[in-house]
Amino acid sequence: MIQLVQVLLLGLMLGGVYALMASGLTLIFGVMRIVNIAHAAFILFAAYLAFWAFKIYHIDPMVSVLFTMPLMFFLGMGIYKLVFPRIGESRQFTSMTVLLTFSLALIVEGVMGFLYSGIYRSANPPYTTRALLLGPFYLPAAQLYATLLSLILLGVLFLFLRFTRTGRAIRATMQNRTAAQIVGVDVERISTLAFGIGMALAGASGSLVSFLFTFFPAKHWQWIGTLLALIVLGGMGSLSGSVVGAFLLAVVAAYLGHFYGPTWSPITFYLALFLILLIRPQGLFGKKLEA
Amino acid sequence: MLLAVENVTAGYGAGPNILEGVSIEVEQGKSYCIIGPNGAGKSTLLRTICGLLRPRSGRIIFKGEVLNGLRPDQILRRGICFVPQDRSLFPEMTVRENLLMAGYSLTNKRELEDRIQAVFEVFPALKERRSQPAQTLSGGEQQMLAMARALILKPDLVMLDEPSLGLAPMVAAQVFESIRRLKALGMTVLLVEQNARKGLECADWGYVLDLGRNRFQGPAHMLLRDPQIAELYLGRRMDTRRREQSRSPEQGVEGP
Repeated sequence: MIQLVQVLLLGLMLGGVYALMASGLTLIFGVMRIVNIAHAAFILFAAYLAFWAFKIYHIDPMVSVLFTMPLMFFLGMGIYKLVFPRIGESRQFTSMTVLLTFSLALIVEGVMGFLYSGIYRSANPPYTTRALLLGPFYLPAAQLYATLLSLILLGVLFLFLRFTRTGRAIRATMQNRTAAQIVGVDVERISTLAFGIGMALAGASGSLVSFLFTFFPAKHWQWIGTLLALIVLGGMGSLSGSVVGAFLLAVVAAYLGHFYGPTWSPITFYLALFLILLIRPQGLFGKKLEA
Repeated sequence: MLLAVENVTAGYGAGPNILEGVSIEVEQGKSYCIIGPNGAGKSTLLRTICGLLRPRSGRIIFKGEVLNGLRPDQILRRGICFVPQDRSLFPEMTVRENLLMAGYSLTNKRELEDRIQAVFEVFPALKERRSQPAQTLSGGEQQMLAMARALILKPDLVMLDEPSLGLAPMVAAQVFESIRRLKALGMTVLLVEQNARKGLECADWGYVLDLGRNRFQGPAHMLLRDPQIAELYLGRRMDTRRREQSRSPEQGVEGP
C-alpha cells in the first residue's frame, strides 16, 4: 500500500512539470490552430541555456526562469512574425503549420547540435540528490520544487487569462476567432502575444528539464510525442484539459514503470495517444474540431 | 448619408465573386432589410462592410470616410457593429464576460460597467443569467445576448445577419420585437433576413439582392405588397388574391 502511494506521489510530482510543458503547446494551438511540433525543441533549447548558466555562472536552474522566460517570449514573437503570416491565408493552415514547425524543430536541433554537441547533459544543483521525508514517503526535492514552481506559473497563467482584459481577449480568440474580431480584438496582435507566452512557458519548462532529466539535442522528438499525447488526451486547445491529461498520464506512466520496469513508462504516452484517437478523438474535455 | 456601398465586388479566398457590384445606401435612424434567395450574397455584403472580407473593387463609405482595407477592429471603432448569423458568442464565457468582451475597445472600466448595467435594463432576462456560460442559454437568449453585445458600444449602425435563424416562431417574434426596440432607441439597423416578410415588416426600406446584384429596392411596405417580389422572394405564403389583380410591379419599386 505504501508502495502504491509512493508511486502515485512520484507520478504527481512529474505531472506538474508535464502540465507546464503542455500548457504552452495548448495555448499556441488554442489561439492560432498551430500545432507546434518544435515546442519540445524550444524546451530543450531553453534547457541548454539553463544548463550553461548553471555550469558557467552557477545560476540555480530554478532561478534561471527569470531569463529563459523573457528570452523565449521575445524569440517566440519574432519567430511568429517571421514565419506564420506567410501561410496565414492558406486553407490548410493547421496542416501547413505541422510541416513548418517540423522543419523549425530540425533547425533548432541542428543549431543545438552545432553549439552544444551530442553529449548527454544534466544540471546538478545540490537539491537533485536530496529528498524530503513525509512520514513513510520520500519526495525527491528536485521533482517537488519543479512541480511547485510549475503549479505557481500555471496559476499565474490562469489568473492572467481569467481576470485581465488581455487574458480575456486571448480566451475569446481561442473560443471564437471571428467573434473576437467582431468585438474589436486585433487577433494578429493577440496571436503574436499568445505565441510569445507559449514560448515563455517552454522557456520555463526548459529550466526545469535541465535538472530533472538528461538530455541531448535529438531528445526533443521523444518529448514532443509525449506532449502531443497529453494535449490530445485533454482535448486539443483546452488548457484545463491538458493539465488534467498531464497529471493523469504522468501517474499512469509512473505505475507502469513501477510494475513493468522503466522502459515501459514511455510507452504509456504513445499507447494513450493511439487509444484516444481511436476511441475519443476530441479528448476528455475537447469539443469536436471544425475543419 | 451614414453608409454608402458603391458598386462593391467581393468573394472568399481565391474563389469567384459572390458580390458582383452591389450598391446600397443607409440613412441615419432608419432601418433596412436586405432580402433575397440563398447565395444572393446578403451575408457576404455584411461581412464585407464590417471588414471580415475585403472588397475587391468598389467603395464603402461610412460617415464620409472610405473603409476599404481597414481591419474589423478599426471599422468597429468607427461605429459599425455586426451580429453574425451564428451569433458568434464566446460559448465558455459567462453572459457577463461576453458583455465585457463586447466592450473590449472601451478602455474606461467605469463606463463599461455602466453600459453593461444599462443593457441589463433593456434585456432583464440576461441579468438573471449573467453568471451562466453563454452555451447554456436557449437560442432566443443567445440571440438576445448577441444583440445586447452590439448595444454595449452604442454603435451608429447595427448589422444583424439572420437573427431569427433556427428559432421557434414564438422566439423569433421576440427577436423581431427586440429589433424594433433597437430602432426605438434611435439606432440605425441593417438587417439580413431569410424570413423576408417578417424582416421587411420591421424595416423602413428594403433591398432585394439576387446572385450578387441589386434586383429591387423600395419602401419596405411597398415591397411587401408587390406581387412580383412576393412571388419571387417572399415564399409560398404570398397573397394569391393580390397576384391576380396585378402582375406588374407597383410604383415606387425600382428595378436594378
